[in-house]
Amino acid sequence: MEAIFQSFVTIGWWELCVTICNLLITFLIVKKFLFGPINKMLEARENEVRELYATAEADRTAAETMKRDYTASIANAKDEAAQITANATKRATARSEEILADANRQASDMVRKAEESIELEKKKTLNEIKDEIAGLSVMIASKVVEKEINEADHKRMIEDFISKVG
Amino acid sequence: MNGPQVYFEIPVLGGLPITESMRNQWFVMLLILCLCVFLTRNLQKIPTGKQALAEKAVVMLTNLVDSTMGEGCRHYAPFVAAIMMSSLFGSLISVIGLRPTTADLNTTLGWALIVFFLIHYSNIKFHGLKAYLKGYLDPIFIMAPLNVLSEIATPISMSFRHFGNMAGGLVITTLLLSGLAAFSNAILGFLPVPLLQIGIPGVLSLYFDLFTAAMQAFIFSMLTMAYVGNARS
Amino acid sequence: MDPRAFVAGMSALGAGCAMIAGLGPGIGEGYVAGQACAAIGRQPECQSDVTRTMILGIAMAESTGIYALVIALILIFANPLVSFYN
Repeated sequence: MEAIFQSFVTIGWWELCVTICNLLITFLIVKKFLFGPINKMLEARENEVRELYATAEADRTAAETMKRDYTASIANAKDEAAQITANATKRATARSEEILADANRQASDMVRKAEESIELEKKKTLNEIKDEIAGLSVMIASKVVEKEINEADHKRMIEDFISKVG
Repeated sequence: MNGPQVYFEIPVLGGLPITESMRNQWFVMLLILCLCVFLTRNLQKIPTGKQALAEKAVVMLTNLVDSTMGEGCRHYAPFVAAIMMSSLFGSLISVIGLRPTTADLNTTLGWALIVFFLIHYSNIKFHGLKAYLKGYLDPIFIMAPLNVLSEIATPISMSFRHFGNMAGGLVITTLLLSGLAAFSNAILGFLPVPLLQIGIPGVLSLYFDLFTAAMQAFIFSMLTMAYVGNARS
Repeated sequence: MDPRAFVAGMSALGAGCAMIAGLGPGIGEGYVAGQACAAIGRQPECQSDVTRTMILGIAMAESTGIYALVIALILIFANPLVSFYN
């Protein structure tokens, strides 16, 4: 069969219609199979990125709030610690002063008691010495005078004498 | 130099021919369909390889449409992409030995007629019928025939530019091939094959098939965007 | 003489004459490219913009040459005048 060729430059309404239909179908193909999926994917990615940003922003806000809370509580804790320390120091000082005062008081008590007992001993000793002296005097006097006198009278006289002397 | 071959005629309305250009157009459409399906198959959140390429192309084209046509014309992007791909692949199939669809005036004129329709549709839609008709009497009413003529000239110049470039390339390539065949017959007639046909047409093909094809596809879509965008502003 | 041969020959001549129109785009495109080079020399940072606009402008300027080419192609391959004598 002989091949039929069209003329090199022709215009025909049928060919034009076919071309126009072909281009419209190509347009639908490109829109449906290329731009549709790609744009959907781009949009999905954009949404995801936006979501991520929103989440990150929320996280950042939460973290900031937390940080502020922590800072506040740490400052509180510091204050409390300082207060506790101050209280403890104060109490300790008070306690130590008390202890010192106690110790002083006890020491002075002991000193006073010791002094009192020393005084008592002294008096006792003095009395004993007086008695000794009185006895001795009586003995000496009796020895010296060799004369029996009423011991009781003598003793009374000597005691008078001693109390006048001492 | 022949036009597109007629394969057979549908016996209605006095014979509707199925031509080589139509067959190649359908082949190009199949190619575009396969490419689109291949590029958008198995889409991931994190793009790799072909998906990155497809996204880059889509974003670039959308930006081009935005910058050329102004805001609110994003829905024209698939149409521009369709014109660009049809034109580019329609011209580039000459590389694999098929007749380029764009070297047929019917093809380019069909596209230009759609653009013509779009221009006037957007113009009426955005300015109203009254302002649209008034635009023809622009400086003074005597200018009306010239304005109509310039409107009609738009699709004609667009289609003839594209057709002329591709057809010119086709003619020159064919002339060169037959010339080389005759030349090698004359000086190297003892060889069974026309030896000079190897290699030399490739250099010209680089310009006429690759560069001109890409250039004309770009220009045709740029002009589409410019005209339609201009009609809206 | 066969009138169709005469018309075909004159059409070929006409096609050749039509391609004289290639002069205009050639001069224009050269001028555009020169101006673009000057612009890039002044503002090298605008190179991509200038190049894009230049290529678009060249394509537009080329259309007159392309119209001439189409006329020539029609005269040679799809001559409507020869069919008067069929």
